[in-house]
Amino acid sequence: MDPLVLGALVAVFTIVILFSGVSVAVGLLIVSAGFLLIFDGTRSLEMMPEIFFADLNSFTILSIPMFIIMGAAIASTRAGADLFEALERWLTRVPGGLVVSNLGACALFAAMSGSSPATCAAIGKMGIPEMQKRGYPDGVAAGAIAAGGTLGILIPPSVTMIVYGIATETSIGRLFLAGVVPGFMLMGLFMAWAIFATWRSGNIAVLSPRHYSLREKFEILPRILPFLVVILGVLYAMYGGVATTSETAAVGAVLCLGMAIVIYKMWNPRAIWTVLRDSTRESVMILFIMAAAGVFAYMMSSLFITQSVAQWIAALEVNRWVLMGIINLFLLVAGFFLPPVAVILMTAPILLPILDAAQFDPYWFAVILTINMEIGLITPPVGLNLFVINSIAPNISLRTILVGSAPFVGCMILAIVILCFVPGIATWLPDLVMGPS
Amino acid sequence: EELRLSHQFSPGDLRHRIAEIVAEEVAAADVDLTIKIFPSGSLFKATEQYVPLSRGQLDMTVFPLSYAGGQRPEYNLTLMPGLVKNHEHAARLNASPFMDEIEAILNEDDVMTLVKGYLAGGFASMGACITRPEDVKGMTVRAAGKGFEEMLQAAGASIASMPSSETYNAMQQNVLNALNTSSSSFVSFRLQELAKCYTPASDVALWFMYQPMLINKSTFDGLTPEQQAALMAGAAKAEAYYLEEAKKEDAQSVEVFREAGVEIAEMTQEDFDAWQALAQESSYKQFVANAPDGQRLLDMALSVE
Amino acid sequence: MPGPTSAAPAYRRGAGFVRAVHAVSTLCGWFAAACTIIALFVTCHMIFVRAVLGQSTIWQTEAVIYLMIAATVIGLPYVQKLRGHVNVDLVPLALGPRARRVLAYVTLSATLVVIALLAWHSWHIWHEAFDRNWKSSTVWAPPLWVPYLVLPVGFGLFVLQLLADLVALATGLDAPFGVREA
Ligand code: NA
Ligand code: NA
Repeated sequence: MDPLVLGALVAVFTIVILFSGVSVAVGLLIVSAGFLLIFDGTRSLEMMPEIFFADLNSFTILSIPMFIIMGAAIASTRAGADLFEALERWLTRVPGGLVVSNLGACALFAAMSGSSPATCAAIGKMGIPEMQKRGYPDGVAAGAIAAGGTLGILIPPSVTMIVYGIATETSIGRLFLAGVVPGFMLMGLFMAWAIFATWRSGNIAVLSPRHYSLREKFEILPRILPFLVVILGVLYAMYGGVATTSETAAVGAVLCLGMAIVIYKMWNPRAIWTVLRDSTRESVMILFIMAAAGVFAYMMSSLFITQSVAQWIAALEVNRWVLMGIINLFLLVAGFFLPPVAVILMTAPILLPILDAAQFDPYWFAVILTINMEIGLITPPVGLNLFVINSIAPNISLRTILVGSAPFVGCMILAIVILCFVPGIATWLPDLVMGPS
Repeated sequence: EELRLSHQFSPGDLRHRIAEIVAEEVAAADVDLTIKIFPSGSLFKATEQYVPLSRGQLDMTVFPLSYAGGQRPEYNLTLMPGLVKNHEHAARLNASPFMDEIEAILNEDDVMTLVKGYLAGGFASMGACITRPEDVKGMTVRAAGKGFEEMLQAAGASIASMPSSETYNAMQQNVLNALNTSSSSFVSFRLQELAKCYTPASDVALWFMYQPMLINKSTFDGLTPEQQAALMAGAAKAEAYYLEEAKKEDAQSVEVFREAGVEIAEMTQEDFDAWQALAQESSYKQFVANAPDGQRLLDMALSVE
Repeated sequence: MPGPTSAAPAYRRGAGFVRAVHAVSTLCGWFAAACTIIALFVTCHMIFVRAVLGQSTIWQTEAVIYLMIAATVIGLPYVQKLRGHVNVDLVPLALGPRARRVLAYVTLSATLVVIALLAWHSWHIWHEAFDRNWKSSTVWAPPLWVPYLVLPVGFGLFVLQLLADLVALATGLDAPFGVREA
């Protein structure tokens, strides 16, 4: 059978099986097993566990659970609340100070967490009730936290950047740096919208400054000191010649666990177990998808689908920006349904040769891809951040959360467009720190 | 009929070219046989190819044999410091009874060799040049191959194990002080941008790695005589090309490093002897202890003039 | 994403089996968390040994990899118990109660089959590595059957947890896709 026809069949079956409600990783395994059995015989089926093992057999994957532990440890303390309170006291003169502080806290927290749901939960637990109390519209409050939480995978460290780095064999240190400026740019766009939406809702009163004394402003500062220590410690380990990027993740996890236990007095074994349980749950889920996607990629390559599809697209000879538009549309749709890790792993083998041929920078593209994945986190039906908001703010309806998040999706699309016109936003910092690629 | 060939190398690599030559020759022979190449580890990861090959789940591969040293300790001899002196010596070794012994072990695993070939390599360092064992003392080194790690450790170096994708960053950050790998890998890792000194393979070289093209034996036996003949003819052509190009790789890497302004060091016969004496005490000893019949194989390899 | 399984009345048939399996899966979770924490400290040890003591790091990288593989594979049944494996539940939620129940049986059985397949073949891989005394091709050279052992064990326990889920579904301890009808 022609590999392209086979590819179409795989696409159809994958969609049908994933929509059946089976878990994403298992769905990928079912499709792989079925196609390998029919088109390659039992010999490939026998190897599935070995391929599964081989896909986990890499030191780099260590950084995924480690960066998840980092976020979970901090999220379990009141560190997120401290951070946002400090920002609020200092940003009091800024209109919409509270929502701006929340978004800023999300961005800073993202610098210590590799995953988006953790960022969302850490800031939202305190931030959403506070915003509601002070009269911000529910939709703005929920949407800002849902969207701000997605910065967790754009501002380093980032689990999805690690997965991209593994799949494309690009430098993870460089990928991390590429996300910094776009991450803060996106934060700025979110803030602009949040202020505008609050103003438009007529609750202008909440935008007016609340007064804090200088004493209040300074007494909060020691409470955000641990954050700075952790962030600087991780940066020093990563870019200062102590450890490789993957090893740095372990340093970060130790620093954050230590900070949670010593500074925030998380002595209780039950509290420590909660952190470990939550991070085990998230990292096993992600690594299972990674390994299953590896089996899926083997099936696609073995049946020559990956290679044929890449050749076919390369032969289309469309304008490179049209190509980029189509790729974005495709990623956007895939992101609606699938968790970021699955999208990256399933598409990277096909997309990379195409991007290479069209001379797109792989680090710049990683940022575009990540913003696409961020959109997926706040759109139904599978939007991890939406579920998080739903569980931390049960008094806000899912509908309100969705409607409130929608304009932030607009901000993200705008960010992608800006990045297409000014690629330097992503590539400037890595070039500055690590030399031109 | 279609055979699947997997390897870990990029399409610009010499070893991909070897696979292509065989595939092209077989196609030109018009014997109803095609070889489909899966480069860059797009089917199997680098170190995961031997087992599927021996089970017939994979038909062919171009493969550094020492990667399978965990399954067959004898293969560790195909990447042992000081065993091969230069490319001519490697060619004589390929034709020696020692290689027949290796072939017999391959056959036991239902694998046979189509194309024999060695590639050479050297050292790149972030500090002083590495020519003698004393030079690596106190350095953190990533070495390619178990035998080299054992020898460098005996020389007083610290061995760091890390994935090859992290070596560039590790060198840049001085997590690693020196690297030992093949000439072409140095260039593909772009280490000329970082290294202060490069010790290439020249008239004498320490690092030689056996990287043959292998085929599953049952698969080969199941082919028609015409198909087998076409494969063997293609393999012979590829083997001659492999030897010629392997020498050029070393020279090309020197050119790349020299252009980048990296100091080029040279290893003398005396340096080589010092390394080999050290290897006697470390990696050779370890090898003999771990491989059944190890001493006999080692002697056979060393006896090749 | 349905929440954790609701507490079930103890008198129902099959409840004992389901509870026992849940206990085993929870143990798996502890084991996975322990492996992750050990990997964390081994990594820090490696950095210390290399950066501060300037000594060789021979075994750490590989040990960390195997610990993380163990954490992942042994963690599978635990995360299944927590309903932590993310899925697309758009269609199941849109269906009527009967169709949803049927779909729940179909997806759970399909999962069971494919994981059992993996468990079965992993057993052979483990056996081959054990039988032939395969080692890793590094200086440390640990026997490969040790890391390979997590595959049959992890997938096997995953199968057990899926069986318990099937029993819970059949006996009404658990609702299809976690959706209880009013
Ligand atoms: Na982050
Ligand atoms: Na989504």
